Amino acid sequence: MCADLLSRRRFLAESGGAASLGWLTFHLPWISALAGCAREDARRDVALTHLNPSEARTMRAFAAQILPSDDGPGAVEAGAVHFIDRALGTSSFAEIAPLIRAGLAELDFRASAFDATGGFASLSGVQQIAIMKRIESERFFTEARTLVLIGTFADPSYGGNIGRAGWAMIGKEDHDMYTAPFGWYDSQSGAAPAHSAA
Amino acid sequence: MNQRTFSENETVDFVIVGSGAAGGVLAKELATSGFDVVVLEQGPWQQPSQFTHDEMAVEREGAMLNTGVEPYQSFRITDAESMRRNPGRGLLYRRGVGGSSVHFTANYWRFRPIDFKERSVLGPISGTGFADWPVTYEELEPYYTKVDWEVGVSGAPGVFDPPRSRPYPLPPLPNKSSGVLLERAAHSLGLHAQVAPMAILSQRYDGRSACMGCGHCYAYGCEFGAKSSTLASVIPKAVATGRCEIRADSTVFRVEMNAAGRTTGVAYWNKEGKERRQLARAVVLAANGAETTRLLLMSASPAFPHGLANSSGVVGSHIMFNGGSSTTGRFDHPTNEYKGHVVSRILLDFYESDPKRGFYGGGGIDARFNNGPIGFAVNGLPEDLPSWGSEFKRALRDYYTHSVRFAAHLTTLPVASNRITLDPEHRDQFGRPALCLTYQDHPDDMETKRWFRDRTQELMEAAGASRVWNQPVLPIDSGVHLLGTARMGNDPRESVVDRYHRAHDVPNLFICDGSSFVTSGRGQPTMTIQALAYRAAEHIARFARSHEI
Repeated sequence: MCADLLSRRRFLAESGGAASLGWLTFHLPWISALAGCAREDARRDVALTHLNPSEARTMRAFAAQILPSDDGPGAVEAGAVHFIDRALGTSSFAEIAPLIRAGLAELDFRASAFDATGGFASLSGVQQIAIMKRIESERFFTEARTLVLIGTFADPSYGGNIGRAGWAMIGKEDHDMYTAPFGWYDSQSGAAPAHSAA
Repeated sequence: MNQRTFSENETVDFVIVGSGAAGGVLAKELATSGFDVVVLEQGPWQQPSQFTHDEMAVEREGAMLNTGVEPYQSFRITDAESMRRNPGRGLLYRRGVGGSSVHFTANYWRFRPIDFKERSVLGPISGTGFADWPVTYEELEPYYTKVDWEVGVSGAPGVFDPPRSRPYPLPPLPNKSSGVLLERAAHSLGLHAQVAPMAILSQRYDGRSACMGCGHCYAYGCEFGAKSSTLASVIPKAVATGRCEIRADSTVFRVEMNAAGRTTGVAYWNKEGKERRQLARAVVLAANGAETTRLLLMSASPAFPHGLANSSGVVGSHIMFNGGSSTTGRFDHPTNEYKGHVVSRILLDFYESDPKRGFYGGGGIDARFNNGPIGFAVNGLPEDLPSWGSEFKRALRDYYTHSVRFAAHLTTLPVASNRITLDPEHRDQFGRPALCLTYQDHPDDMETKRWFRDRTQELMEAAGASRVWNQPVLPIDSGVHLLGTARMGNDPRESVVDRYHRAHDVPNLFICDGSSFVTSGRGQPTMTIQALAYRAAEHIARFARSHEI
């Protein structure tokens, strides 16, 4: 566990918990503490440790429906589940973790209506989508979706976006610097701007 | 950085609180004029090599912002409500040497002559403190030019420019797809796009690197030193004089006064939280519109029961943020706006308030698309598109690299009841009371936002976007432009500082930052904050030399 996680926990306590829909646009002081830890774990190829095998299967199936692996790598290939596993393992995540765990359990419970014995992950894609549509306005869905997106698109040092697969997914080139022209229209400037002396 | 240091028991000529857009300029100018200066900055002294492109840390969690360190702020719409946690992001600024000039977008619009005398031209607006400035554009022009050349501004003359005494020191940055599309839209509507003046170096200048096009201006620090923050531009020069100490991690909590009604220096907490003092012959507050307010209110005493320099009662009031509204469009070819600087073209046809519209308000429009992948994926797409699944994934790929936003930057009116006060129920790690914002948009400000949203929509359609969607027009609960809370004026009953930024109530206390603004201008305040700082420094140095402090 990273040393500075401890000091960051204090801020979460002071902020009264950051576990609302707004937490993405507010502050997540705890989450950057994950960066160093996740980098270490990824280097050592550590398996999932905080989600149990059943939760991991369900989370993976959920993530695969948020950003599917249809025409190229999706959230699962980008390592979003690995990121979420790390996030849930921090005590800073104490408030959200039960919500996520309960939500995953509910997905499996709802799967039983389809006579599935292997939980949500064993359903067909059509069945999974039908269940997710039913809960997409619930807080679990919003939070879990956001986590999947962070795990896919955040800097790879957080443990997801492996090989920058998330950025490739949306067509973002991965360079530290770019030279103009940047886009297709750049050179299409019709009327030259007024450069005459003012 | 090697620098001269001063003992806390030594009485320096000036202590400056804050090292941002104004504080950095004041430090460099006063030290260059031969005065001993200590700058107290509550954040750390980061070097450009410490800045990252990490969207999670910088944009999502506010690693560089005050709210990353002090998360609690209060809010209420009117005094009749009780204070509650601010539902938005609150009063935002960066803590650290260079202040918010480190993470700003670097739009460097000058004000125009009308901005300083709108009250005289348009008449009063009921329910507001709408007033003329005690300075004119003509008086400020030499200092705008000084900003251009001292910090490094890239640009080219435009059709709506105010008079300028010297050309830009640097040619414009490259035009981006967003700029070309704004030009196209303007041309078809009979309007005029012009080069955006940017405090980003288009070429190597003054020993600093040119922009490398990394695409991380907005919200991020520039690791190349090409963005003209005070950290990159004037602060190294202030230190090089050998008469200026930048003391980082030093949080000022009180301006100290003697029985004669003069300030003797400031009290602050150092990095370890220990109480320290710095003696000075004069104090200059440049801590931004929120922190300057908090410091004055926390410096209340029997002689100043409502806060230091607050005999007028207007400290903290009339806060202005600059309203905004915008329209986004998706185009058939890649725009790749994530590359390079943010803004290359602006449109100022609607700058002035027009009585025919039936409400007060004006603004400028720029073209950009500065969304990071996380923020864009979470809520950047039009609302009618799927938010998960195969179609969502395809839409992200399509829209992320093909979108442009036309963003309007607008006036907000100075209203006395809109203000910053202290919330005694919540305190920061040192025990300072939290900032409370009381704010209700003036009806004209809401009209202005709606009116400009219609204009940006027309422009986006004229630009040929295949899909156009508006961002919602919302009331303000948060902001990054913290303006007007210690306003300038000739009348001590209605203002905090005089036309030279000297506090009406305390002869050796000066206040110069966004709090000095009388009206909001149109969206981009930093250029004017710095022109004011150059002008203030010249007058403060003159007063000091002639023993008039």
